[in-house]
Amino acid sequence: MAFLFGRRQRSASELIRSTKDLLQRLIKEDGQVPKTEEELARTLSITKTTLQGSPDVDAQPEQVYQLVSTILAESLLPLLVTNIHRLPFEARKDTQTIISNVFRFRNPGSTHTEPDALKEVLRTQPGIVVSLCNGYERRESAGACGGILKEALKWDAVAAVILYDEPLPDGKTIDIYNDVDASSQSSGNGVFWKFFDWIDKSSFEVSADAFDCFRLILTKHKSLVSNYINTNFDMFFDKYNSMLVKSDSYVTKRQSIKLLGEMLLDRQFYEVMTRYVDSGDNLKLIMWQLKDERRMVQYEAFHVFKIFAANPNKSYEVQKFLIMNKQRLLKFLPKFLEDRTEDDQFNDEKAWLVKAIGNLPDSTSAIQSPTGARPANGSAGVQQQGSTAQVRS
Amino acid sequence: MAENYQMLEELGSGSFGIVYKALEKSTGQYVAIKHIDLEGSDDDIREIQQEISLLATCSSSYVTAYRTSFVRGTKLWIVMEYLGGGSCLDLLKPGAMDERYIAIILKELLQGLDYLHSTGKIHRDIKAANILLSQTGQVKIADFGVAAQLTNIKSQRLTFVGTPFWMAPEVIQEAGYDYHADIWSLGITAMEMALGEPPRSDVHPMKVLFLIPKEKPPRLEGSRFSKEFKDFVAQCLNKNPEGRPSAKILLKHAFIRRAGKTDLLQDLVQRTKAYEQNGRAHERDSRYYEETLREMSSADEEDEWVFDTIKPATKFGTIAKHTVKRRKLERIPSGDGSDMENATSAMEGMTLDAAPLGDITNSTTSTPTREISTIKTPKPRISSSVRKVSAITARKVSVSSPTARRVSRKVSGNNATSRKVSGAPAQSSAQKQPLGLDMSFGNGTSTVRQFKRVSSSHTPSSPKHHNQPSTSPQDSVFDSDAENKPPPAPQQQAQPAAQPNTKEAMVGRRAYDKALDPAFQEAHAATADRTKREALAGVAESWAHLNAVDPEGELALLRAMMDRIQSDPKLASALLPQRVANAQLASLRMNSPTKKGSIRVHESEVSSSRDVTPTSSPSKAAKTPSSSPLKDKYGASPGKLVLNPQNPHLKKMRSSQALNAEREKEKLDEKMPGRPSEPGMEHVGMLGEVLYGRWTEGLKARWPIN
Repeated sequence: MAFLFGRRQRSASELIRSTKDLLQRLIKEDGQVPKTEEELARTLSITKTTLQGSPDVDAQPEQVYQLVSTILAESLLPLLVTNIHRLPFEARKDTQTIISNVFRFRNPGSTHTEPDALKEVLRTQPGIVVSLCNGYERRESAGACGGILKEALKWDAVAAVILYDEPLPDGKTIDIYNDVDASSQSSGNGVFWKFFDWIDKSSFEVSADAFDCFRLILTKHKSLVSNYINTNFDMFFDKYNSMLVKSDSYVTKRQSIKLLGEMLLDRQFYEVMTRYVDSGDNLKLIMWQLKDERRMVQYEAFHVFKIFAANPNKSYEVQKFLIMNKQRLLKFLPKFLEDRTEDDQFNDEKAWLVKAIGNLPDSTSAIQSPTGARPANGSAGVQQQGSTAQVRS
Repeated sequence: MAENYQMLEELGSGSFGIVYKALEKSTGQYVAIKHIDLEGSDDDIREIQQEISLLATCSSSYVTAYRTSFVRGTKLWIVMEYLGGGSCLDLLKPGAMDERYIAIILKELLQGLDYLHSTGKIHRDIKAANILLSQTGQVKIADFGVAAQLTNIKSQRLTFVGTPFWMAPEVIQEAGYDYHADIWSLGITAMEMALGEPPRSDVHPMKVLFLIPKEKPPRLEGSRFSKEFKDFVAQCLNKNPEGRPSAKILLKHAFIRRAGKTDLLQDLVQRTKAYEQNGRAHERDSRYYEETLREMSSADEEDEWVFDTIKPATKFGTIAKHTVKRRKLERIPSGDGSDMENATSAMEGMTLDAAPLGDITNSTTSTPTREISTIKTPKPRISSSVRKVSAITARKVSVSSPTARRVSRKVSGNNATSRKVSGAPAQSSAQKQPLGLDMSFGNGTSTVRQFKRVSSSHTPSSPKHHNQPSTSPQDSVFDSDAENKPPPAPQQQAQPAAQPNTKEAMVGRRAYDKALDPAFQEAHAATADRTKREALAGVAESWAHLNAVDPEGELALLRAMMDRIQSDPKLASALLPQRVANAQLASLRMNSPTKKGSIRVHESEVSSSRDVTPTSSPSKAAKTPSSSPLKDKYGASPGKLVLNPQNPHLKKMRSSQALNAEREKEKLDEKMPGRPSEPGMEHVGMLGEVLYGRWTEGLKARWPIN
């Protein structure tokens, strides 16, 4: 090992350049020459070990610094990311480790929020983040790219690059530090919107990983995301409902309803929540899910449904649907997931829900349609009802 | 993907799932498939995903190879390489192992651990039960249920996971640990193999959790073990994790260096095989793939279950009154929640008998084995069962660990049940979805047809559709076959969606919606040739245009076509063998009025012809003529009446004709006469009755088989 270290100290740039050359050769040969693969795997393995050390040997800060600066200077990362699927098995994992380590690199005494190398990447080569997302296109690259992304999503700037990505005519990626206007709507062509397809259409492994990443994007930096969803509300929930909640995949369906419940109950998504629960269509969709045959889908749907019922300012449409189904709900809910006897919170919420719905007027004539003469009074009435239900429970 | 695997016997249960042996049809190789029922736990699916992604990033001949994974219904299938030699725990069944075998196993194990650790993974549950052998003696690490991937090679873990007897002190103390924890577990495993049990196995596992950090580390003692072996164990069982050598260094230990080749391990495999054949062959048998077979059969029943519970007819009865928009919602919580519930509980009842089987498998091999084994362990049975329990309890402590799942599964009595139930609906979900969504009713011909085909003898009941708003839908007779009614008809009727303001226009629209459009779609779907398809699409499009622009003209055209066909005897016999009467009806309908008396004739006819069909209920026939409001209803819906009597007849036809062609006709039959039952067309009904009576008489003459 020691001789390798000695040699590399002299030639960090040599190592990176030869990695780059080998990569280009690999692309040209299209994986036909095993020797190239082997050599590439070896240089990547050395790079990895230099960056993170080994169980027995710690990494040398000086070497790490040299290597990271060379990697950035030589623009190795874009090439690596876009070709990760071509690499042999272990080399893909090494690549993941290399990139993650570069993204983590900080100069001693640095005061930036993001690690220095990552900041540099986001300023000069933000396309790498988009390429990493595109790793979900392939089973071979999904795991490694997803792993890098999920770690990097600790930083809101990374989430911002994904959210505000728009295909530019020159093929470049938007500079989030200068170009972004958070109040303008997304075209829906940015990389963020591809997640819906990856989750919906990929094999289980890729889909599940993409969903995990999607969840992180949505939940790690809430103020950024809630602003974004508010701006793109209709497009977001249109896709969310049609591709995720209505997904044929049990896993996607269950996870997306769960995530929806978590988001809506989060204070930071308050505005998103109020808009969401105003919609009668959303209520309908969720009520359907209560009737799904799969218990965990029912269960997750319950946690979204309760928000509609608990909302003190229900829209006319939502009131109407709830009232129209009042008797059915009162019959349905007591038996709903009856055997969850040990889930006290659930049972409390269910009991509350039964009361709250029982307190709704029996007929829609008792509520005012938004076009009616006194809409304000109408909703006030319901508001009262909602609060009494709460008190009684 | 599941079709690629032929499921065989059960191998045991791993972390939160049951493992089966299976044949991978595409390669002809045996594989091990772990079934994890995702419905079985509240836990985040992410945790299971972690196990998979961890496995998926392992590529070593010392680690069980992962092939693929997919979800089928609510079950996750993880396909792994199959190892025919069993686990090291299995190999201990005939008794403790000889030192020379242990050395080989440890050597292989260390190579596996070295691989894992070098890629930043900690297994966290190394023990004999998680070490698998192939037939040829290869040793592989299995069960990554609680393994961890460190993002950084130097980072540490805090989570309290593992199995108590094998857990390292630093893991129990939750002071942060790294891959050194696996080395401790390896030391315990070495002792387990040498003694048949891990040290302190007679102590309660919760107590062991206190003893491990407090007391001196266990040591291998006695003259039957070599000095090297004892030293190896002592090096692994160092309470200071930093003092424990890495896997790489241990590979150079004298005890390991003198280890033989893995081929020798075949002795162990043979020993266990012989032992099992002698003692307990039948017990193995009890865990063959029976359970899954049962699952499969229940899956079939589940299809029906969905059918039943949806109870479209009862719902539609109420729905019919409402507007489209409301209807969508109305159906959701309509009283059928209870039906669903009942059916679910019925399902549970049905599968309850599967529970004991599930339990047997869960408590796995160790208990029964040790019970019978002749080893001289002081209290083999008790201790082993305690071990099992202990593993469970300790894991329960770690709330965040995925193994908690394992606990909840085993503890909760209904686990087998819920697994069953959940598997089912998933399968049928495809069925339910289209039913659930209203949209599909309008154009979902297949659904309608399905209802029809299930028991065509029920079609005569369609008049009660029209009754339903007035008569009680709870009527048991009607209810019993309620789901077999073609649901869309009354709906369409109740809310004429189109704007046409003449009767003809409405009928025209209806003809298009109910008959032509579906027929076009079906024909289009059934046509493979591209040019033909295009031609067909062209006609369909033009017709759609006609329908949009001039529904009255559309009806007139249809009528003209029908008339021509019917008036040509050859065409009529080719196209409308039993529809002649209908066609006549259609043409005559408009002209001559009829007397009430003739209706009676027809009714008795209906009941008599129905009585012949075995499935029909006599009460139905009795009911029809007896209730006077019904008669009015009959008058109101002549179209349905015409449709009814065809069914007994169709039954006969079915036996003599190709089923496909039959289905086509049957479908058309429903639709054609369905047209006149528009509101405002009631007057036509009486005529329908008369003609129908005549027609059935004619039929009787023609097909005397009845």
